[in-house]
Amino acid sequence: MRFDPVLAWGSMPALLDGALMTLLVTFTVMAVGGPLGLAVSFARMSRRRPLAWFGAAYVSVCRGAPSLILLYLIYNGLAQLDIVRDGPLWFLFQHAFFCVVIAFSLNHSGYIVEIMRGGMEAVPAGLLEAGASLGLSPRQVLWKIRIPIAIRYGLKAYQNEAMLFMKSTAAVSAVTLTDLTAAANEIFYMTYDPFTPIITAGAIYWVINNAMRIGFGLLERRLNRHLGLA
Amino acid sequence: MELLAFGDTGYGDELFFGALTTIQLAVFGYVLALALGLVFAVLALKGKGPRWWLFRVYASIFTGVPSLLIIFLFYFGGAELVRSLLAPIGINVRLDVSPFTAGVAALGLVYAAYLGDLIRSAIINVPRGQFEACEALSVPRRHMWLSVVLPQAFRIALPGLVNTWIVLLKDTALVSLAGLNDLIANAKVAAGSTKEPFVFFTAALLFFVVIATVTLPLVNRVARRLERGQRRAEV
Repeated sequence: MRFDPVLAWGSMPALLDGALMTLLVTFTVMAVGGPLGLAVSFARMSRRRPLAWFGAAYVSVCRGAPSLILLYLIYNGLAQLDIVRDGPLWFLFQHAFFCVVIAFSLNHSGYIVEIMRGGMEAVPAGLLEAGASLGLSPRQVLWKIRIPIAIRYGLKAYQNEAMLFMKSTAAVSAVTLTDLTAAANEIFYMTYDPFTPIITAGAIYWVINNAMRIGFGLLERRLNRHLGLA
Repeated sequence: MELLAFGDTGYGDELFFGALTTIQLAVFGYVLALALGLVFAVLALKGKGPRWWLFRVYASIFTGVPSLLIIFLFYFGGAELVRSLLAPIGINVRLDVSPFTAGVAALGLVYAAYLGDLIRSAIINVPRGQFEACEALSVPRRHMWLSVVLPQAFRIALPGLVNTWIVLLKDTALVSLAGLNDLIANAKVAAGSTKEPFVFFTAALLFFVVIATVTLPLVNRVARRLERGQRRAEV
């Protein structure tokens, strides 16, 4: 086993390009999956049976399936359906990046649904009643009290999920997107050095992972500053 | 439907054997992760010692990097890795690492980091009195661990163990990218040659969703059995 620092340095530009794609996918999916998950969590908690049933099915499919299969299903599978191929959005489904965002957003939002539901159900009833008795409308109680508190409760679980999901984006190389893992693989196939590119890419992932951890830590401190902890 | 038939006319048997490979991979990987995780947990039990720090470094590396990358590392470089590890002690081996072996090793080592943490905190959460009682009764250490501490730790760790099992099961999909003929690889082949990708990928997706869904009631049974010694609060 040999680590070649010259090769590692030389492949830095290609790897960093890949890392940029990994970050782009990660942040786009977080931006799409968040609101999507929030919307479905309302359906999941709805008192209307069909809506609640849809929410439960959405969660069990999106969380239960590996993101790689969701990716294949959307990138390769949807092309088989005439509705999609003749539909107005077909030009979008031909782009690997678009399919990646959809597939991972489905997966990511499945987790967010459960995190938000858990958070919203944990908000003490007294706070909601206090809001209502102060004359806030149900909508205001939801957006000004319930959701902000639920976000605070769910932040830790969301951090775990976001960090797991950032790493799972390594699968996007399967649909021709050149992310960090794909870039490392390309260097392996050019040099047949099995260690240097993969270990270097691993180091970059490790840095991204820990940067996310620090970022979430700061966010948590900021959201909880009224509690006067630490 | 005839696409999913068994025999020469359909791809049912290919998918079935692919699914068996997937399950085998997941079970072997999980057992390896559980065994290693248990060892890590016991060795790193005391916080702040050198063994604890070693485990922290290990966990930071293996949880900070995608499992796909570790799978590739073992698949491409596993043979050389084993050779250079064994060469200093005078053993010279040449071996080929199959995608399956690379997958089991990678998933086992990655999830050992998660399970080590989980089991460690479960052991710590077993009431101290249990340890002290064992000491007071001079119960042999082996019995203390196997009959007193670990069964209780298992109860505490169960939800996390189940979560990890489902995450690991889904991660097996990645080993198909290293060339393993598992469910996903076979679904992909079938999709390519029949031009019916939607059918096959949906079938593969349902396999995972069904396994994840049937796991929960099973686990609830185990959980109830493990809790038979616990008093439930009457609410």
